Amino acid sequence: MSGYRLARGGRIDRNRPVAFRFDGRDYSGFAGDTLASALVAGGVTLLGRSFKYHRPRGLLGMGAEEPNALVTVDRGPARITPNLRATQVALHDGLVASSQNRWPSLKFDVVALNDVFGALFPAGFYNKTFMWPRAAWEALYEPVIRRLAGLGESPVARDPDHYDATYAHCEVLVIGGGIAGIEAALDAAQTGGRVILIDDQDDLGGGALSDAALWPLLTDLKARLAGCANVTVLGRTTAFGYYHQNFIGAVESLTDHLAPAEATGPRERLWRIRAGEVVLAQGAIERPLVFDGNDVPGVMLASAGRTLALRHGVAVGRAVVVMAAHDSGWRDALAMAEAGVTIAAIIDIRDVVPGDLAEAARAAGIAVHTGCAITHVSGRHAVKGVTFAAAGTGPERHIACDAVLMAGGWTPSVHLWSHGKGSLAWSEAWGAYLPGTAIENCRAVGACAGAWSLGSGVITAVLPNRKPVRAQKAFVDFQNDVKARDIHLAVQEGMRSIEHIKRYTTNGMATDQGKTSNLNGLQIASTVLGRPVADIGLTTFRPPYTPQTFGALMGHHKDALFQPVRKSVIDDWATAQGAVFENVSNWRRARYFPRGGETMEAAVLRECAAVRNAVGMFDASTLGKIEVVGPDAAEFLNRMYTNPWKGLQPGRCRYGLLLREDGFIMDDGVSARIADDRFHLTTTTGGAARVLGMMEDYLQTEWSDLDVWLTSTTEQWAVIALQGPMARAVIAPLVEGIDLDGAAFPHMAGREGTIAGVPTRLFRVSFTGELGFEINVPAHEGRKVWDAVHAAGQAHGITAYGTETMHVLRAEKGFIIVGQDTDGTMTPADMGLDWAVGKKKPDFVGKRSLARPDMDAPGRKQFVGLLTEDAGELLEEGAQVVADPDAPIPMPMIGHVTSAYRSAAAGRTIALAVIADGRARIGQTVFIPMPGRVIRAKVTAPMFYDPEGSRLNA
Amino acid sequence: MLEIAPLAVAGIDLATGTAAVNGMVSGLPVCIAPAAPLTRWSLRARDAGALSAAIGRALPDRIGVVIDGIARLGPDEWYALLPEGTVLPGGAGLPVSVVEVTARAVGFTVEGAGAVAALARGCPLDLAGFAPGRATRTVFETVEVQIWATAPETYHVEVWRSFAPWLWHSLAAGLALTAGLD
Amino acid sequence: MILIHCPYCEEDRPEVEFTYGGQAHIARPLDPAALDDAEWESFLYIRSNPRGRHAERWRHAHGCARFFNAIRDTVTDRFEVTYKAGEQAPDGAAR
Ligand SMILES: [Zn+2]
Repeated sequence: MSGYRLARGGRIDRNRPVAFRFDGRDYSGFAGDTLASALVAGGVTLLGRSFKYHRPRGLLGMGAEEPNALVTVDRGPARITPNLRATQVALHDGLVASSQNRWPSLKFDVVALNDVFGALFPAGFYNKTFMWPRAAWEALYEPVIRRLAGLGESPVARDPDHYDATYAHCEVLVIGGGIAGIEAALDAAQTGGRVILIDDQDDLGGGALSDAALWPLLTDLKARLAGCANVTVLGRTTAFGYYHQNFIGAVESLTDHLAPAEATGPRERLWRIRAGEVVLAQGAIERPLVFDGNDVPGVMLASAGRTLALRHGVAVGRAVVVMAAHDSGWRDALAMAEAGVTIAAIIDIRDVVPGDLAEAARAAGIAVHTGCAITHVSGRHAVKGVTFAAAGTGPERHIACDAVLMAGGWTPSVHLWSHGKGSLAWSEAWGAYLPGTAIENCRAVGACAGAWSLGSGVITAVLPNRKPVRAQKAFVDFQNDVKARDIHLAVQEGMRSIEHIKRYTTNGMATDQGKTSNLNGLQIASTVLGRPVADIGLTTFRPPYTPQTFGALMGHHKDALFQPVRKSVIDDWATAQGAVFENVSNWRRARYFPRGGETMEAAVLRECAAVRNAVGMFDASTLGKIEVVGPDAAEFLNRMYTNPWKGLQPGRCRYGLLLREDGFIMDDGVSARIADDRFHLTTTTGGAARVLGMMEDYLQTEWSDLDVWLTSTTEQWAVIALQGPMARAVIAPLVEGIDLDGAAFPHMAGREGTIAGVPTRLFRVSFTGELGFEINVPAHEGRKVWDAVHAAGQAHGITAYGTETMHVLRAEKGFIIVGQDTDGTMTPADMGLDWAVGKKKPDFVGKRSLARPDMDAPGRKQFVGLLTEDAGELLEEGAQVVADPDAPIPMPMIGHVTSAYRSAAAGRTIALAVIADGRARIGQTVFIPMPGRVIRAKVTAPMFYDPEGSRLNA
Repeated sequence: MLEIAPLAVAGIDLATGTAAVNGMVSGLPVCIAPAAPLTRWSLRARDAGALSAAIGRALPDRIGVVIDGIARLGPDEWYALLPEGTVLPGGAGLPVSVVEVTARAVGFTVEGAGAVAALARGCPLDLAGFAPGRATRTVFETVEVQIWATAPETYHVEVWRSFAPWLWHSLAAGLALTAGLD
Repeated sequence: MILIHCPYCEEDRPEVEFTYGGQAHIARPLDPAALDDAEWESFLYIRSNPRGRHAERWRHAHGCARFFNAIRDTVTDRFEVTYKAGEQAPDGAAR
């Protein structure tokens, strides 16, 4: 093929030349060109290599259906987009694109040897050959196959672009901006409702853009559309998926058609559209013909040749042969001839064609050969000529030509219709499936509904040829290199359903989802099986209609906005102090506060010692909080928690243990009774939403007679935990309205008053084993109170500590952390929390399950402490524990380490674990096998500091 | 004044601050700004009459409707946005729940011809028919919010405090992007 | 994303406002202690998994916050009907 720019015609702007590069060479096109049209105009024939055989390939189509001309567009570092269809890449100044799937160059590709040995790679070859041995998959097959097969390369650098997303609502959504779509939008606009019209091209018009006779109508329709204030037109937008209840996903390309320097704002926008009615006007895709040599570069769809000539002013070659089975090929040939393209011949498989077409062709000086079929295409990197014969088997004749156009009929685009679960009905007239009955409020119009006159034709499976199909390189799926012979082979090997044939041959499984191959594949299978197409079925279309970027699908969830990171009101202070943070659920919390280059270990040892010896302060604001209010509040809590709540006096706090109905620990926390009918609950940071949801569930659906209501107050209160022997002294000057004396305000009491002038709920509670308070103040005052406490604490050596120190201090006391020391299979007894279970209560959530036989069976894992024989040895959390390290592998594992720290108070490392019958093993030695060695540890009670609890009441 | 911390998690650092942001969405002007200080109350009762009597105020009887600063969010749930300094009776001993949640949430106003488009970037509700006097709990992408239509083209958005920076920056990013300010 | 009709809000609302709550109409026994182990196991763990109509619980978590019940077809993902907690399943509804 030696394409060239026609002297006139097309919708391009010949006053605006555009320079671009392809595979390192400079080219020039015009504004209004696609990369494909500009390359063809520049005489480029070879545009890519095929996926499996790396065969040289040229352009096939004109739009989204293009299987061959996949290119990589380079918009600068990290902005490299592979696998774009050259037919849909708008030309802009400075565009840099390259072909794919070739090495070292497009013209000379070593993997094309695959093609020479093509007989070795029939359908099913991979399935059958690479099944054994299994290890070879990792070592050999997969890496080699990945190198040989594959599309463009993914960019490796971070994507610097940003993406937008929006929801939209309309009464009528029209998908497809050809004549039928525009008319549907104009009709819908009359009703006054909101109308959205989506089209994937730069310019509205669809197929009419390639038909000069329709341009005046198009101009008129577009003017009328512009006058409708209730119509939103989204150009360069692809509707990629049709979901339940008329929910459509679409991606609008915002900047890729612009030169990088002119591109501002987001690159793409995800549209999530809910429509009252959807009108599909997606048009139809022309079908290739299957014959020997139909993939030689220069063989393409007639509609592509027409589009190049009429829309872009480009001739696909200097001598063009049309191979038709459909009237549209003749019309295309005539239109191209009129536009100045030399049509050497029209060959039609039909014996009889409409008289007007034949006459017009003869009048235009075009040789006509009816009842004939192309039997061979000569040329490897470009078409040099064709041979054809009457009925494919008669004497062969030769025509020199440099382009072959295929007109195999039309396939209505029913992709979105099928996404929407609409039924399909086989149409003999079209030789294709048409929309049948809709499930959604949806209708199809224009060519995709079969309601557009494209002429008539015959549907063929493979063009007749003297050579057997197995000896022909007659391609069905150009992107996945599936030939007619592969489908024959699949049927021979016993595949009957099109779903099996598809998977065996990979027909239609490439990124183009078989837009040009599905129907031909079906037709061939039907012929070989001797059964009607409709009996063989049709493979399912699934979103996306065309490949979409991850960026578009993520919308604004990128970089800093990737997901909300929740921060407490103390976060700024911690940041200023140089805190190291960790994520806990979706909160970020200060983990430790290193001073002067301290390691985490050093910082945590210092923070722990400060709490034990003086006083520490900790931001506990992320704890979940629930206000439980109503006359039945105590009754409700009594049913939820394991322990009794009715007798708790206002002004007192209690540890609450929450089980799931299956008896396993779900959450815990200390809660206070503020008044007879008001409780202040706390939950773990990560469990807050889960606990509230579970409590609401019981309240709404099981005990809806109770007069009690739950309000999340997690974010209402900032919480400052003040812990250590000096805690009382620190807050004494700040607190008013509360008697802090130990007798008046004992451990597990709660009082209301003010601190630093701010109303507070002050609880005397401890998660460290030290004298401690939790200061609850309204969140917006939290920072002020934090600063006041910090200032007041200076005289007492106050030290801020983070979650790591909090974990160590509680571990020294054997306090559990739900979700770390428990894993969803632990009972209160397993964790040594029997004391928190109300034995006399008739019922609570999970109680009945605790009575199931396995819940206290011997051999259950129990919560214990571990002390390594080497006091400096720190166990790894999650490490498995065994009783006999010499047992044969796989050796029986009896438990695992749940927590392990360096303890300042113990002067050594400590660990917590859950071990089968652990309490009976106290004093025994267990073993923790690690790579290359075995660690010995002694089982202890889970308590490493102040077992009498004397410090609490200091 | 409400402080909207910059977001600096990874990659792009968004630091819009707390000043009102003006921009365009879908070619229409929008202004987002922190709302004036308010008191907030979560009000619950099985019997609206009991709650109304307990707090001495009228309550809307339809879900999604606002009367005098109180929205009905659900069959037994109301939410009050009242002037700073307002104190409601606690309803002690009554079959009601009155919980002050002033500090729990912060409010933004989203105003202008493009306000619906600005909210639609993350809210799946069709707000075109959401007339002044209506309020609902919903989501902006993954974050729970309340949207109150307070006047034509004017919306008050409530969001829990720790989600506010993300929401603010998400809204502001949409405006800036369209206005080409970034 | 589907739309779900909330029987409390009396509106079709987007799916992202809702959370799924498992099979409907499994009441917690009033006196769990009266159940033997097999009965309790059945209450805890045994659920139907029909192909087709399924009575299930949903919660309008980011709306009115109420739990309600629905008959949904597990093949088509269509909601046949939604109704308030405590109300009887409509006649002929799958259990
Ligand atoms: Zn609802």
